[in-house]
Amino acid sequence: MSTPLRDTLSEPSIYLPTAATIADVRAVGKREKVFTFELPKGLSLAHQPGQFVELSILGVGEAPISISSSPSRSNGTFELCVRKAGDLTGVLHTLKAGDTVGVRGPFGRGFPIERFRGKDMLFAPGGLGLAPLRSLINQVLDERGNFGRVIIAYGARDPGELLFKDELERWAERSDVELHLTVDRGDETWSGPVGVITTLFPKIEVHARNTVAVTVGPPVMYRFVLMELLGKGLSEGNIWLSLERRMKCGVGKCGHCQINHLYACQSGPSFSYAEIKHLGEAL
Amino acid sequence: MAVRPKVAFFEFTSCEGCQLTVVDSLQTHPELLEAVEIVRFREAMSEKGDDYLIAFIEGSCTRPSDEPHLKAIRERAGVVVALGACAHLGGVNAIRNRQELSELRRYVYGDKAEWYETYPARPISAVIPVDATIPGCPIDREEFIRVVKAVLQGRAPQLPDYPVCVECKLKENVCLYLRGKTCLGPIALAGCDAICPTYGDSCEACRGLIPNPNIESLKNVLAEHGLSVEQTMAKMTMFLTYQTMESEAAAHGNGKR
Amino acid sequence: MSFKVIPKAALPDWIEQMRRSQRVVGPKPLHGQHVFGEIHGAAEIDLDYPTTVIPPKKYLFPQQEDLLTYKLDGSAPSVVQDAEPTVVLGLHTCDLHALHLLDRVFEKTHVDQPYMARRAKTTLVSIECLRPCMSHSFCKSMGTLSVTDGFDLHLTDLGDDYGVDVGTPKGAALLDGLKGVREATGDDRQRVNRIMTEKWPRFPLRLEFDVTELPSLLSVSYDSKLWDELGERCLACAMCTNVCPTCYCFNVADEVELTLTAGKRYRVWDSCQLDKFATVADGHNFRAKRGARQRHRFFRKGKYQTDAFGLLGCVGCGRCAQACLVDITPVDTWNELHRPATEGTKEAAA
Repeated sequence: MSTPLRDTLSEPSIYLPTAATIADVRAVGKREKVFTFELPKGLSLAHQPGQFVELSILGVGEAPISISSSPSRSNGTFELCVRKAGDLTGVLHTLKAGDTVGVRGPFGRGFPIERFRGKDMLFAPGGLGLAPLRSLINQVLDERGNFGRVIIAYGARDPGELLFKDELERWAERSDVELHLTVDRGDETWSGPVGVITTLFPKIEVHARNTVAVTVGPPVMYRFVLMELLGKGLSEGNIWLSLERRMKCGVGKCGHCQINHLYACQSGPSFSYAEIKHLGEAL
Repeated sequence: MAVRPKVAFFEFTSCEGCQLTVVDSLQTHPELLEAVEIVRFREAMSEKGDDYLIAFIEGSCTRPSDEPHLKAIRERAGVVVALGACAHLGGVNAIRNRQELSELRRYVYGDKAEWYETYPARPISAVIPVDATIPGCPIDREEFIRVVKAVLQGRAPQLPDYPVCVECKLKENVCLYLRGKTCLGPIALAGCDAICPTYGDSCEACRGLIPNPNIESLKNVLAEHGLSVEQTMAKMTMFLTYQTMESEAAAHGNGKR
Repeated sequence: MSFKVIPKAALPDWIEQMRRSQRVVGPKPLHGQHVFGEIHGAAEIDLDYPTTVIPPKKYLFPQQEDLLTYKLDGSAPSVVQDAEPTVVLGLHTCDLHALHLLDRVFEKTHVDQPYMARRAKTTLVSIECLRPCMSHSFCKSMGTLSVTDGFDLHLTDLGDDYGVDVGTPKGAALLDGLKGVREATGDDRQRVNRIMTEKWPRFPLRLEFDVTELPSLLSVSYDSKLWDELGERCLACAMCTNVCPTCYCFNVADEVELTLTAGKRYRVWDSCQLDKFATVADGHNFRAKRGARQRHRFFRKGKYQTDAFGLLGCVGCGRCAQACLVDITPVDTWNELHRPATEGTKEAAA
């Protein structure tokens, strides 16, 4: 039995990261790489889909990154899909297999998959939102029999921004996955639909009462996707999303991730729409 | 460190006071010379190396003939750092940008005015891409060291994006407004450890504006503390002329560059 | 626990005695205001002080605090443990109430060792305020004008003596062996009672409603136009939060040595009033408007902290009001919210 990393967090300091070694690096988009990490022997991440870790590079800093691998495929490792966007992620992108980083976590509340079993699943990632959602999607696919339909409606800015193309191809080939892709702007390589993610929804028929939708994407996307999902008759409690914030400490102290009275790093980042619709700062 | 990156210093329109601060910082941080190799530095040596990785440029671009020099430095250097308020914001040189240039030239140079090709002062980022900036008039030597470290790490320096009031209050200084003075601290970028207010002098915002400054509200505060509109405008002129003219231009939808 | 009396004349000896085993910090004058600083002798301390620029929380949660140090050679970082035994002498009761809240914040869910380590090594000696310290304070309205617990020792100025409430064995130990200290008599207790009775009317109630209504008042004030008005004025300078005894938001950063062989990770006070506080990696700012940031601040002080920790997030010290250049104050803000709400109710009832 391995010890969950979280159990090692408390002493001697909640701010002390544990060393993790990069086992593999692969590019999955123009600006995105997937890093596979190994924890020291005897430790496992033991996360839920939707949780995040604080990734740290000594001498550079620390940043919250959502976990992209599914617990069902952990095999002693975990994956983070990171877009090169700032200081820390820029340095991370220069690291190679064998290099070491620090991790703390996993933090926050993941998606409550136990409440999703038996339901039809509609996943609606936008852009980099596939990175965290992939964890849940693969968990669902690994226990495919526990779920009804699996529908994935994925939108990206352009074909180059569609992440995890190899996995998209595998999902497309499966008869038990309904995959819909769209891009805001096409190019010569693209023969699929062009339009924002919400243009996919009219094509998708769902049994509203038995469907759970999970959407992860940029803030601007949520308002429109929520309108579509509510329009299809999904209940507010069956629509789940992940709220990105600047979780600096991960342990509910530093204040950066607060959404009204809630700390995204504690109560979230996964929320049902019912939980956050009254919060003025959520969307 | 195995190989010390080669560093060169250049000066355009400026007082070279920021480079003097660099000389000064060598006294408190002599290990800087273990970290880098200086190949060109007029304030401290006579060699003029042309092979360098990191170029620190002090001074603003004030005449057409500055542009090819800046571009040549940009081509040679892997990393260009704007050193000080003149390179960062046009500095005090930009005060003239609101004046009629030909009259100004006649006023300064008299009957030799025709000899000079000066035009409105600009930060070097208006001419060439800049990788990092060290604000201030003069620069803060600790911040210079912090920026050097970041550049050596291959990172973009993370400079303060909050106002001078933050640093001033954390030091428990007496607010200058409580002493009957006025201060631009609430809208001025920090990073100087509030050095002027600490010694009782008003902040003149030599490091430029914070993001989204509430200038209108501060003008009201200045008026309540007895400043006339002209005095307030003068206060905003010393270091902020370029930034405020740019934002005025942007507001009128004809941003130049 | 017990109630003792020490003559004021014993203060120099007492400070000297405490300093033998630990650092003593307390209020002292500096450039016409007061700050908490190290006390080397009784001549430096001014226990009859108005208020300090920054509250004494800085000894438990310093403005900047190293968390980790490390070498950049692949070895594991070390946790910084630099808490030193400290007596905080002369906290006002508002600041003591603030520490009650911080204790809960840093203990809850994940224990914050840096804070708790300093807390464990700190002895708190508070002092009863006998008259308002400045025009901006509103401690009476916030229920922080006195304390019943949470101190190690609590002093009351009895003229030539200090009455000393002993709250904990740690507090009692500070008095061990001190010459002149004696058990309080019935007479002393009567003196204290008289002083306490006399002090109360000197403090004005500045909120126009009972503070227990504050959380519910705020819950109906989220969409008030007042927030936009505050946003117009607010300079986003963060002075209000930086002087606040209950604020504890922080940022974390790394700094390396010039030789790039070693470095440290530290935390530093941050503020929800600053423009970039809620900005995420892609540049989106979730609290871009100054009005929304002021609202967040006042909701934290008057509601969110109460909901989460059972204590008000404002102790009425008045520091933020005194620091603000555009006169944004908790008293005016909350009274203003209360006024239209009451009028609105009356209209609705009419």
